[in-house]
Amino acid sequence: MTLALVLAAVLAVAVVVFVARPFLREPAPASDRLDEPGVLERRQLALAEERDRALAALKELEFDHRTGKISDEDYRALVGPLRRQAAEALRALEPRAGSARAATRDPEHEHL
Amino acid sequence: MAELGRAALVLSLGLVVYALVGGALAAHLRRRRFVLSAQNALVASFATTLVASAVLLSALVRHDFSFDYVAGHTSRTLPLAYTISAFWGGQEGSLLLWLLVLTGYGAAAVLLHRRAARDVVTWAVPVIGGVATFFGILLVFVASPFNTQLAPADGAGMVPSLQNPYMLAHPPMLYLGYVGLTVPFAFAMGALLSGRTDERWIVVTRRWTLAAWAFLGVGQLLGSHWAYTEVGWGGYYAWDPVENAALMPWLAATAFLHSVMVQEKKNMLKVWNMLLVILAFCLSIFGTFLTRSGVINSIHSFTQSSIGGWFLGFIVVIVVVSGLALRARLPQLRARTKLESPISREASFLYNNLLLVALCLTILWGVAFPILTQAVRGETFTVGKPYYDFFLKAFGLPLLLLMGIGPLVAWRRSSLRALGRTFAWPALLALAVAAVLLALGAGSSGPGMIAYTFSAFVLGSIALEFVRGTRARHALGGETWGSAFSSLVARNRRRYGGYVVHAAVVLLAIGIAGSSLYGRTVERKLSVGQSMSVRGYSLRYLGLQQSKSANATETRALLALGGRAHGTLTTGTNFYPVEQSSSREVGIHTNWLRAEDLYVILDQSGPKGSVFLKVLVKPLVNLIWVGGFVFVLGSVVALWPDAREERRLALRYAEGVPARA
Amino acid sequence: MVALSIAAVLAVFLLYTALAGAGTPSLSPSKLAGHSGRVSLSGNVIGPVRGDAHGAGLRFGLRDIEGGSKTTVPVLYRGTVPDLFRANRHVVVDGTLRSGVFVAVPGTLVTKCPSKYAPAKTSGNSDT
Repeated sequence: MTLALVLAAVLAVAVVVFVARPFLREPAPASDRLDEPGVLERRQLALAEERDRALAALKELEFDHRTGKISDEDYRALVGPLRRQAAEALRALEPRAGSARAATRDPEHEHL
Repeated sequence: MAELGRAALVLSLGLVVYALVGGALAAHLRRRRFVLSAQNALVASFATTLVASAVLLSALVRHDFSFDYVAGHTSRTLPLAYTISAFWGGQEGSLLLWLLVLTGYGAAAVLLHRRAARDVVTWAVPVIGGVATFFGILLVFVASPFNTQLAPADGAGMVPSLQNPYMLAHPPMLYLGYVGLTVPFAFAMGALLSGRTDERWIVVTRRWTLAAWAFLGVGQLLGSHWAYTEVGWGGYYAWDPVENAALMPWLAATAFLHSVMVQEKKNMLKVWNMLLVILAFCLSIFGTFLTRSGVINSIHSFTQSSIGGWFLGFIVVIVVVSGLALRARLPQLRARTKLESPISREASFLYNNLLLVALCLTILWGVAFPILTQAVRGETFTVGKPYYDFFLKAFGLPLLLLMGIGPLVAWRRSSLRALGRTFAWPALLALAVAAVLLALGAGSSGPGMIAYTFSAFVLGSIALEFVRGTRARHALGGETWGSAFSSLVARNRRRYGGYVVHAAVVLLAIGIAGSSLYGRTVERKLSVGQSMSVRGYSLRYLGLQQSKSANATETRALLALGGRAHGTLTTGTNFYPVEQSSSREVGIHTNWLRAEDLYVILDQSGPKGSVFLKVLVKPLVNLIWVGGFVFVLGSVVALWPDAREERRLALRYAEGVPARA
Repeated sequence: MVALSIAAVLAVFLLYTALAGAGTPSLSPSKLAGHSGRVSLSGNVIGPVRGDAHGAGLRFGLRDIEGGSKTTVPVLYRGTVPDLFRANRHVVVDGTLRSGVFVAVPGTLVTKCPSKYAPAKTSGNSDT
């Protein structure tokens, strides 16, 4: 019975230490604030999602066309607006640093 | 040792309360170290719950009857495997399993995603902590597995019907599913509470939802198979409230899995997705409530207890809190894009969702009906199989058809002409199959014909998808047909895994239609040497045998099979002297060529060794179990991590966050 | 368009409830008196249990599970008898009250396992 109590006490101490660890490791941190993404960052993310969506839609259109699900005429009708959307999304991201690198990495050529 | 278990649970409760209160405060005040501390608390709660679970498990294995729980659910002669399954066989133990899986999932989710989805995780922690607090309170104050007593010489034993391998797999699978739905819920709440309603929470929880959904599905199939082979009334699903309790969240989760695709591709249905994930989670808690409260007349029942009230209160809290959070973020979630055409893939996902949710709600209505009529009319009314069967057909058949149509329709809009062309082959196949089936006499059941025809259509369209994709890939050059196929699937795991799952559902539909609508039941009294025949099978009764096993007396009627089957079949009952009860052991002969079963129940033994037999022929029933395996295969394919996609997503989220010091 | 689909779904639902009626009453023996038509009776089996379910019929009594009412309803049952059926078990059976005897619908007798978590369904439902 006392073994149980000893084990319980050890467990309790271990757990309390683990929970307090962030405070123990940095007793006096430079900044304790959790940065909130700024308006600019949020916009960036929204644009990145737009871009990914547009590119994915293009990719899927190519895929559907290549596998014969979408006819040539339907493809011609749909591809224009989608390409425009994707171009707009990429352009909107361009002025921001780092996105140029990301844009070239997109799997545009992997349609299947 | 019970003190250690009790202490560990108290620690768990303390930790999850800290995760809830501290985590919420930390998130609100945006204090970094405090947030980390709350995350640590959640992770630590898994460790303490694990300790408590180890204590209970060891008590079970050691036959420590000073534990109330161990004495109440096991005995010395109980085989080890079933002794272990007693962990989740009773109220308190199953609550502990819930908490263990919940804290485990919570810890894993936090550790895996705290970098990619920091703000969402920051708020998901108090939500998971909150759910865990509920179960912790129950375990510490209301239903503790660690109550002790003066140890009796032997335990009460386990109900014989639970002593089978299914008891080892069915409940854990269900729990992995039920509890798993907490993670997407917590992340959805995290997204709402943090205001980060971009699709990050969906992307991050996609696999969790799919995995939980798959576990829940497999758990239900295991339960059905158990009912079919062990409980032995000839069926596999009785629309019992507890069965429905697992089906409802599964249907809601199925709807959710589809509608998130619309959100990902079109940035629409954000509010709907939130509602769905909240519904799925509430239904899973409701399901746990149903199984335990005894509030509804059900064949599965835990001890009638007041614990039901706690669950009901918890559901109210969840609905209120999530409703408020949702309302606060409503403007952010409103979609700017609209549905362009009623004939588009977005629209077919929407129809699919409406049908699934409609089916889910009608089942909910049927389950709650007794409670509602009692409250309103003062008298309890129940709905039976006809109610559920009607709606299963009314909503399920269109859903079946939609599985074939959806993948063939393009996004945004599809012209009818284009549809006509893509549908041509599958539709022709379906008509051909229908003609053949009519010739074979399947016209005896209208819904059955519809189900079969639709199934053929869907299978045709799935096959066409695979063929088209492989052909296009092969045409790119440089690959054999085989590697074209495997690379096609590997590069589009979600799509093709999804198609395999659809195929599984079709197999299920065919199996259900066949066995429910085209079967035959015959009841006959046979004396020794007499024969009977049913649908081309003949059975000759050879006599009654009795034997003794470790804990049971087994009575078996021996039958010689002829006609469509060969060999012998035994069917009978087992009598368990310790528990003073008997269980039916049905005889099933599977005709693999026709995927049908000859199912024989020994109803009663009569005078002079005669027997009353109930014989059922269940056509195509084995497609249900085959469908189960295909389901697992499809889920695994869809779940398999895609390194390319992971990299792309990591890149996207890295862009949005400035470099950390 | 969404509204149309929802309306269609509701229509299906309402059509059914209108045609099929609103469920079977689920009663305890003390409340049975005066009910005509098919009801679902649930109660405790009171012995002696006599007769043959495959012959002239199994006869037993049903009493309220809780509430202390002494009303015992005589039941006549034919059809499959589930495994766990015996005196003092909680059962549910569908049927109609005829001249003081509850005549059961064959195959609708279902027993519940006493108090443990136990999927003990062994009724005569043979379809699904």
